[in-house]
Amino acid sequence: MQIKINNKPYNCESGETIFSICKRNGIRLPTLCAHPDLLPSEGVCRMCLVETNQSKGLVPSCVQKVSEGLEVRTETENVNKARKINLELLWADHAGKCAACLRNGRCELQKLAKEYDIDGFKFVPRRKELKSENELDLLKDNWSHVVADEKNPCIARDSQYCIECRRCVRICREMQTVEAYGTNYRSSNTNVGTPYEIPLDCIFCGQCSAVCPTAAITEKDEIEKFEKALADPQKMVIVQTAPSVRFTFLEEFGMPPGTFGEKKLVAALKALGANKVFDTILGADLTIVEEAAELIKRVKNKGVLPMFTSCCPSWVVYVEKYYPEFIPNLSSCKSPQQMMGALIKTHYAKKEKFDPKNIVSVSIMPCTSKKYEAARSEMKASGRQDVDIVLTIRELARLIRKKKIDPIKLEDGKFDPALGISTGAGMLFGSSGGVMEAALRTAAEKITGEELGRVDFEVVRGEEGIRCAEIEINDLKLRVAVVHEIRNAKKMLEDLKSGKAQYDFVEVMACPNGCIGGGGQPVPTSPEIRSARIKGVIVRDKGMSIRKSHENPVLKKIYKEFLGKPGGDKAEELLHTKYTNRKNIS
Amino acid sequence: MEIVTKNWEKINPLDINTYIRSGGYEALRKVIRETPLKVVSEIKRSGLRGRGGGGFPTGEKWEITAKIEADEKFIICNLDESEPGVYKDRIIAEKNPHQIIEGLLIGAYAIGAKRAFIYINGHYKKPAEILKIALEQAREKEFVGRGIMGSSIDVEIEIFSGAGAYICGEENALINSIEGKRGEPRLKPPHPPVSGLFGKPTIVNNAETLANVPYIIKRGADVYSKIGPSLSPGTKLFLLEGAVKNKGIFEVPLGTTAEDLIFNSLYGGGMEDGKEFWFAQIGGASGRLMPRGKLDQLLIYGPSEYPIGAGSILVVDKMADIKDLLFSWADFFHRESCGKCVPCREGTYRLWEIAKWLKNNDLKERDRENIEDILWTLSNTTFCPLGNFAAVAWSDAISMFSEEIFGK
Repeated sequence: MQIKINNKPYNCESGETIFSICKRNGIRLPTLCAHPDLLPSEGVCRMCLVETNQSKGLVPSCVQKVSEGLEVRTETENVNKARKINLELLWADHAGKCAACLRNGRCELQKLAKEYDIDGFKFVPRRKELKSENELDLLKDNWSHVVADEKNPCIARDSQYCIECRRCVRICREMQTVEAYGTNYRSSNTNVGTPYEIPLDCIFCGQCSAVCPTAAITEKDEIEKFEKALADPQKMVIVQTAPSVRFTFLEEFGMPPGTFGEKKLVAALKALGANKVFDTILGADLTIVEEAAELIKRVKNKGVLPMFTSCCPSWVVYVEKYYPEFIPNLSSCKSPQQMMGALIKTHYAKKEKFDPKNIVSVSIMPCTSKKYEAARSEMKASGRQDVDIVLTIRELARLIRKKKIDPIKLEDGKFDPALGISTGAGMLFGSSGGVMEAALRTAAEKITGEELGRVDFEVVRGEEGIRCAEIEINDLKLRVAVVHEIRNAKKMLEDLKSGKAQYDFVEVMACPNGCIGGGGQPVPTSPEIRSARIKGVIVRDKGMSIRKSHENPVLKKIYKEFLGKPGGDKAEELLHTKYTNRKNIS
Repeated sequence: MEIVTKNWEKINPLDINTYIRSGGYEALRKVIRETPLKVVSEIKRSGLRGRGGGGFPTGEKWEITAKIEADEKFIICNLDESEPGVYKDRIIAEKNPHQIIEGLLIGAYAIGAKRAFIYINGHYKKPAEILKIALEQAREKEFVGRGIMGSSIDVEIEIFSGAGAYICGEENALINSIEGKRGEPRLKPPHPPVSGLFGKPTIVNNAETLANVPYIIKRGADVYSKIGPSLSPGTKLFLLEGAVKNKGIFEVPLGTTAEDLIFNSLYGGGMEDGKEFWFAQIGGASGRLMPRGKLDQLLIYGPSEYPIGAGSILVVDKMADIKDLLFSWADFFHRESCGKCVPCREGTYRLWEIAKWLKNNDLKERDRENIEDILWTLSNTTFCPLGNFAAVAWSDAISMFSEEIFGK
């Protein structure tokens, strides 16, 4: 079928919406409720209205399907009038504290307001920002119900920034099936929030904060804690950075997604005053070696199978809350962050003769959920909290901007060598399928005792929600699956329960495409952006001289000097953990 | 002309026998001996249009669902009536509940639904109780339930009480409400006759519409279609209120003029003593304002300059303060907006805010421009018609009485 948009012909399929055709052809339509990670919009924000030859009034392009002979105009006087008035209405209902806002400069409402020349308030603001005495009375009258939720360990909500676009409601339901969000009250008191306005009870994945157009939902900001530690001369600030954030960090500073930013990231952390900067990839390599050993043990001893990876804390807590019967399937291995945390405050502190109580262990993560993980009571291998502060890459970038550091202009930095050697395998942790591939590289060599010829397991790469493969290592056949997004994990669990599927080893990541699409990654996010990030990861793995976790020289040394052998007593004590049935706890 | 209000004085709503004695449930008996499609075509031929406000031809709606093969279908009687000044469905339910039940049963049979609902406004406690008793009695008499009147037809009816939200009278919001979801309109298409309650084909009919059905079946489509204008036949319950002498419900053939309704001694009987006609609001809070010069307009469903909506006519005299009226309209729509789309959620709020200032004679210069912008966005950009409705009376008032509102 062919339709006309702004007098130019475009090909399209029946059933497509005007919005998606425009998007494909680079015709920009503003929107505040549609998002590439969501199912087609319900047409809530009314920003993408257009005029057509087939209806009298304006139609929402995100909803309107094409039909024969359709002619669309996307920028008429009425279209722009509608957008402007509706933006004015939203603007006056929004906090309007741009300068102090966490999303300043990255806010979709702010960008549209600028584009449509919204300056000042056409309508009396309903929030606190007006301070002049004569307007204050109006405000008292206008004050609307604000919910600020600080009780969730990872996600902060402040409804004064909320424009009721409902993306959070939809992503939590569609992608994660958790349904932690809903809509409360009605008319102008409508508030997007939680049922009965309880504190947000969820799996902490933070996808809501990644799709929120404003700062109504953000990561729980811990910049201040970090700054305080940096300023304290008594404290030794040791930072670790996750595998994936080196591929996304520079997005925060205007570079395209997938740009390898490891050296600038380390440099920026040093410029901020971090005493040591280590690479979480060492933790990832440890995880792989321990997990491979655990898998081989389970297979050989006919233990509980399939074994599930446990490096994604949202996935772990999802199992604990919704499918506790699968807790025995979770690998007992701690995540890379927590393995690193445990090593920093034990082995490293001992070796360097630091008092662990003076160490502030900080991790830079793509993830909101890691904040929760670090605070779990089991995570005290050193006798105290192993990781003290978890910052998402967004928070770190904010701090760097605040300190007026331009990382791109900094001289390249290098990880401190003590715990800072990276491998290609560990690099892969950043994207869905990476843990699986890294584990297979190690498991295959451990089982066969021979060196792998080709280390790339392409069968586990890709973007499908559930990817299955059968891997043959000698006479051992491993049925593996790689899953991302909880809706797919839920399906996988149900299939296991009903016997429809059988696996030996399953990797699960709660976020789309794994950590590279983490809830704490830079905004905006979309399948295209994540593809570009993944490309960066794969290229980098290929270029690494060491591509297998167990060949990491630092790791080998640590086992030799400190941990003994994988799965041994010391490793068990420091690198493994336990899980709790949380089904009835909220 | 009495169809819906016929026999009201003879019928005891709490006693099904009084309804049966006046010919009740005969239509149902007649219907179950015919094929469902024949029933649909009879209703279609009668020209009956929905009495809830939209005026969509009932038979056509039924036909869509009747022709769909589905394991389950539903029919819902919409008794959510919650527009200020509209209470006709409540009165029907209180005076003759079986007329609604019989119409609903006939509809269920025609479209092939085994389950039916009466969705009733949460504030309607008394009519809900009457309907409940009526339903029990109808079940005892085997008009409702398994094997209706000895046939193999099963129809269960449930009364579902809403929470009193105006938006739940919109059929998709009503369906959401029954499903246990937030009462908000859904995206259309699919329309309910194709995919409605729990994704099944669903017919939603206004209570007054259904109350007309037994008559059509008994007397035949030909008789019915000759009442009133051919495109909009039948009678309609109108509600007269305001500065008119006789207030209340009047059943008149469609096609009657507003002038007749208001001034004819059979109905309104003219203005209250000492009051002078200013304008009439046709169709409830969402209705247009009709000036003296337009009183000769026919009140009909279908294309019309003054849509009759649910049938309320508010007569306003020259003593009335337009600012009070503006406030009451804005107040209603602001309260009842569901909050889903931006222009309605925020626009109705701003209109209400401005109406407050207007009432207190505290209007600023910028508010005048803002009124125009809000009315424009409500009329042109909202998700569902409620947003458009919110602007109707205001827009008329601004263009007709600018001087009274803003001063010279």
